[in-house]
Amino acid sequence: MRRLAAAAGIALALNASAAIACGYCVEDKIASTYDHAVVTAALARHHHVAFYHIDGPIPPGDAAKRSLESLAESTPGVDKGSVRVAVETLTISFAFDPRRAPLLAVQTAMDRKFAAKKLALMPLKVIERAAEMKTVQR
Amino acid sequence: MKKYSQLPAACAAAAFILAACSPPAPIAPHAASGAAGGDKYDVAKMDLKPVPAKISSERHTGAFAEGAALSLDAQLKPLDPSPVKTIRLDTTHKIIEIAPGVKFSAWTFGDHVPGPTVRAKVGDKIRFSMTNRSDEPVPGVRLTSAPMMHSMDFHAAMVSPQDKYRSIAPGQTIEFEFTLNYPGMFMYHCGTPMILEHIASGMYGALIVEPREGYPTKVDREYVVIQSEFYAKPDPGKQKVDGAPLYVLDGDRLRAAQPTHTVFNGSHNGMVKNPLAAKTGERVRLFVLNVGPSKTSSFHVVGTIFDRVWMDGNPDNQMRGMQTVLLGSSNAAIVEFLIPEDGSYIMVDHHFANASQGAIGLVSTTAKPPASELEHHNMPASATPSDPDAVAGKQAFESKCLACHSIGQGKKLGPDLAGVTKRRSEAWLAKWLKAPEAMLQTDADAKAMLKEYNNLPMPNQSLGDAEIRQYIKYFQWIDAQPAGSVKAAGAR
Repeated sequence: MRRLAAAAGIALALNASAAIACGYCVEDKIASTYDHAVVTAALARHHHVAFYHIDGPIPPGDAAKRSLESLAESTPGVDKGSVRVAVETLTISFAFDPRRAPLLAVQTAMDRKFAAKKLALMPLKVIERAAEMKTVQR
Repeated sequence: MKKYSQLPAACAAAAFILAACSPPAPIAPHAASGAAGGDKYDVAKMDLKPVPAKISSERHTGAFAEGAALSLDAQLKPLDPSPVKTIRLDTTHKIIEIAPGVKFSAWTFGDHVPGPTVRAKVGDKIRFSMTNRSDEPVPGVRLTSAPMMHSMDFHAAMVSPQDKYRSIAPGQTIEFEFTLNYPGMFMYHCGTPMILEHIASGMYGALIVEPREGYPTKVDREYVVIQSEFYAKPDPGKQKVDGAPLYVLDGDRLRAAQPTHTVFNGSHNGMVKNPLAAKTGERVRLFVLNVGPSKTSSFHVVGTIFDRVWMDGNPDNQMRGMQTVLLGSSNAAIVEFLIPEDGSYIMVDHHFANASQGAIGLVSTTAKPPASELEHHNMPASATPSDPDAVAGKQAFESKCLACHSIGQGKKLGPDLAGVTKRRSEAWLAKWLKAPEAMLQTDADAKAMLKEYNNLPMPNQSLGDAEIRQYIKYFQWIDAQPAGSVKAAGAR
């Protein structure tokens, strides 16, 4: 319920941001953590790259960013060195091996870790093939 | 069952988010919201029925810019009569030369900086496509920036930014169309965060929209002049391009709005070397756009008066007899003037700090005017050093030394440093910068200087050898310029 309420809040914020237009669209959030080297390396190994909105208070600065990166990287299935966090846009991305851990499993495990910091993850898009961004299917 | 079907409520939230970002339904034009009948700005007559954008993984190959409505340089092509302008502006990363010896790692539309100029008229439809080709392989060692996401924001369009201006990844193509409802000269630029970086790296251009009935005046020449800033620093990795140092975006200067180069049409003093041609008695129309990203332009042409100025390029916004037109970032103007007699008419940003960084050009009745024609503006061929050490020295000097010293502006608490490398040897300067207090104990010249400057000793700045070398390189560069051409003075 809390998550749904948060989602509604985010949705409202995003809707309101239509007037701002910069940095709040899904693709703009994705652009803030998109690392072509990570994407290329992941796809070469038939891994996928997922992008998530982070819901919750993140203190500004490198310490919080590093903390989230290491937290995400310790999640089973996530590729080492692939996690990117943009505190300014509240976005995280990571590459993962879908054969070892499907996105649902990775998300559930990572969400549990983030919940300890009063943060929640909301899926944005996933790259499974070059130059294709898929909305995560329900 | 679909993949990821077990994802929890967060997915529903994401769908909600996406829905929130999706474009709104088209607005039904309502005559009451515009002016009375006959008004050319009546929204009831505007096309506000946009088609959703399409994103695919089908990438363009071949030319990076295509379309009969595009002009690739300052000379503007005549209006293409087709009511639908199909244009393609792919994004690339490439090295461009923004000043002699300054090879800058740029991001582009259509492989040009500025991007190609689009020309159309009110009522025309723009059918636009763009592949993000920032990932295309380049021969040899890759010196350009890593591939990244890009987007396109047309100020001339009335569309949902969340639909049409979406960022696309390398290899993706976006297509969308829109109808031009207002005349003007409009900026286009990449709108992907951080927008400041994308514009400062070269991702901008102009879309000119003529009134439906054309311009009310006839002219002999039409040119496009786009002013922009660059914020360049030598590559920290010391990479070189064809033997010259590679320059990259200086994020600190960018955020502080302290450009290293302010230029017309992407090149320092570029239109001095290649003036815009005109003949005596001709009427010239300049389409002037200031893309910034952070500075205003006070655009002026020495030797003539703007007979007409159409602010933002719309003849309905007319002023007559103007000396200068003030353009904020993303403002434009069409200016028209006569060439009264043979000569070189100097286009300049009358904010002279900007002009001294390269925002200067000529409209000339001779193909190659002599450099002396610029002398009364005290503008050297290059107002910024290109040697990386000298550039670093300049930046350090401007941030730390101007409180006590000037260049070419006379004494302050300490000496005017113009000519210092002619007054002192390099070894003396190095020793002085390293340990002024020691020099004051032993060196006669240092003692005399202390007396001359009211016994105010220069504090030891704890400079390392590399920093000292950079300062001296900068002083040597100053003294190699035409006398009096480099000036700097901080607050007194």
